[in-house]
Amino acid sequence: MLEVSDITKVYGTRTVVDRVSFSVPKGEILGFLGPNGAGKTTTMRIITGYVPPSSGTVKVAGFDVQEQPLEVKRRLGYLPEHPPLYSEMLVRPYLEFVARIRGVPRRQIRARVDRAIERCGLQAVAGRLVAVLSKGYQQRVGLAQAILHEPDLLILDEPTVGLDPTQIREIRSLIKSFSGEHTVILSTHILAEVTMTCHRVMIINEGRIAATDTLEGLTARGGGGRVLVRFARRADGAEAALHALPGVASVQAHEAQDGGFAVGMRPGQDAREEIAALAVGRGWGLLEMRPLTRSLEEIFIDIIRGESSGVADPAAGAAAGGNAEATA
Amino acid sequence: MRNTLAIAAREVRTYFTSPLAYVVIGVFLLLSGYIFWASLVRFSELCLRFASNPYYASQLNVNDMVVRPIFGTMGIIFLLLMPVVTMRLLAEERRAGTAELLFTCPVTSGQVVLGKFLGAACLFLVMIGVTLTYPILIMNSGAAPDMKPTLAGYFGVLLMGLSLLALGLLFSALTDNQVVAAVSAFGTFLFLWVIDWMASSATVTLGALMSRLTLGLWEKAGLGIAGPTLGDLLGSLSIIGHLRDFQKGVIDSRDVVFYGSVIFVSLFLTQRVLESRRWR
Repeated sequence: MLEVSDITKVYGTRTVVDRVSFSVPKGEILGFLGPNGAGKTTTMRIITGYVPPSSGTVKVAGFDVQEQPLEVKRRLGYLPEHPPLYSEMLVRPYLEFVARIRGVPRRQIRARVDRAIERCGLQAVAGRLVAVLSKGYQQRVGLAQAILHEPDLLILDEPTVGLDPTQIREIRSLIKSFSGEHTVILSTHILAEVTMTCHRVMIINEGRIAATDTLEGLTARGGGGRVLVRFARRADGAEAALHALPGVASVQAHEAQDGGFAVGMRPGQDAREEIAALAVGRGWGLLEMRPLTRSLEEIFIDIIRGESSGVADPAAGAAAGGNAEATA
Repeated sequence: MRNTLAIAAREVRTYFTSPLAYVVIGVFLLLSGYIFWASLVRFSELCLRFASNPYYASQLNVNDMVVRPIFGTMGIIFLLLMPVVTMRLLAEERRAGTAELLFTCPVTSGQVVLGKFLGAACLFLVMIGVTLTYPILIMNSGAAPDMKPTLAGYFGVLLMGLSLLALGLLFSALTDNQVVAAVSAFGTFLFLWVIDWMASSATVTLGALMSRLTLGLWEKAGLGIAGPTLGDLLGSLSIIGHLRDFQKGVIDSRDVVFYGSVIFVSLFLTQRVLESRRWR
C-alpha cells in the first residue's frame, strides 16, 4: 500500500529526516514512535505530499506522491498535528466542505458526514461552532474530517492528544476498526497507544529509523529470561555460586535492590528452581524472586539512547543485542 | 471546477458569517451613498439656479455631474477597503494550519487560488450590486441618467475591483500574517494610485532617459529620444487612470486588457507563490 524509499528532508543545514525507508502492507496499523522533534511529523507530511522530500520517493498504491499527487491525495485521509479546522464554521458544514473537496460524490456527502459524525461521537456538537468546542472535540472533528471519505491510507499525527481517557479508548477502538480494510499510520509519543492499537512499531529518532518491530518482538527484547533474586543476608559467595549453576548465563548485582542480583538465564533454560534450592541450602534467606521484564518504556528509552550515544546502556543488557541489529 | 466552487462557497460563507462583510459593505455604502447624495443635491441646486437660462440648463448633465464622480469615489474607496477583504484569504489558511488540509486534498493550487478569488469577487459583487440602486432611484425623476454610459462605468469599477482583489490575494499568499498582507497590499494600491499624479509632471521622454542612462549610446545608436514620456508610461500603469475612460462611458480595449492582465498575472503569481512555499 505504502512504499517509502530513502526519503531525506533537509531544512537549511538541518537534516530532519535522514534516509528513511519502509513499507506498509494493506490493512496494517503502523505506529510511529519517537521523542519530540524526531521527524515523525515531517515524515508524515512527506507521505501526504504536503512537503516535498529533498530526495527519495513515496508511493501510495503505486502512485508517486510527487508525480501524481492528486491520485495519491484521493486515497488519503490526514489528521495533522493541529487539527485543520475553520474556527468560524459549524461542525457539520465544515465536514460537508471537506467531503466536497475530498471528492466525495455529491449524493453521498450527507450519508458520509452522518457516518463520520456518528463514528467520532460528534452528534451532540454537530450544530456548534468549531471555535467553541473543547480541545477533545476539536480533535475528534479533525479525526472525522480524516475518515469521512473512507480513505485507503489514513495518516494520523498524534490522534489522541488532548482527549480524556474515555475518549482515548473510543478513538483507539475506532482506529482499530480501520485495520484490515484501511492502512493506518499513526504517530505518538505515548507508548501505551502503540501497545493497544498498532500491529507494528517504528521507532524514529533524530530523523532515522531506530527500530522496526512487531509489538511482540519489542516486548521479547525486554524479556530475555532475567530474574531478580533478593536475599535477606548479604552472602559473599553468592554471585560465584549462582554463576556456577547450570542454565545461568550472567549474574549482576542489582543496583536498585540492596542484596539483590539480576540473574540472566541461558536461552531456553529456566534455573529458578535451582536458584531457590541453592539459596535455601546455603541459608541466604530468599526474600524475593521475580522475572525482570522491562517495560516498553524502558526498551524505548534504551533504543533512543543507544541511537543517540552509540553506546548501549550497560543496564540495558538484553536489549543491547537487539538494538544493535536494529540500528544496523 | 467543483473544488473551485466549493472553496469559493466556503469563502463567501465565512465572509457573511463574520462581521467583516457587513462592515466593509456598510462603510462602502455609507461613503458612496453620501457622495451620490451630495452630488445629486448640488446638481439639483444648479438646475434650479439656471432654470431660467435655457443655454446653461442644457449644459447640465446628470451623467457628468452625478454618475461620473460616483465611480471615481468608488475607485478610491476600493483602494482603501480591498486589502481588508483579501488579507485573510491565504494568510489565515497558513496561520490556522488549514493549508495543510487544503493541500493534502485532491485539489490543485490553481483551484485554491481561483476559489479564493471567486469568493472575494462574490463579496465585491454584492457590494457594487447594491449601488445599482443609486441610478435606478433617479431613473423616474427628471434627472434620469443615460443608462449606457452608467453601465460602462460599472463595468470599469468591476474590472478595477477585481484587479485589486487579485493583487491583494497575491499579498495574502506571501505572508501568514494578515496585517502584513493588508498593509503591503494597501501600500501597493496607493502607489498605483499615486503614480497617476506623477504621470502629469514627468515630461522627460523615455528615449531621453535611456540616452542619459547609457551615457549617450542610446542616441548614437539612432534609437531616438523622441516618443512617449516617462509620464505616459507611469500613467498607463496607474490603476485609477484606466478607470477614467469607463467613467466617461467609453469602453476602451486598452483599459480592459490592462485590468485583465493585472488579474491574470496576479492570480498566476499567487499560484506560483503557493507552489514555491511548499519547498521551504
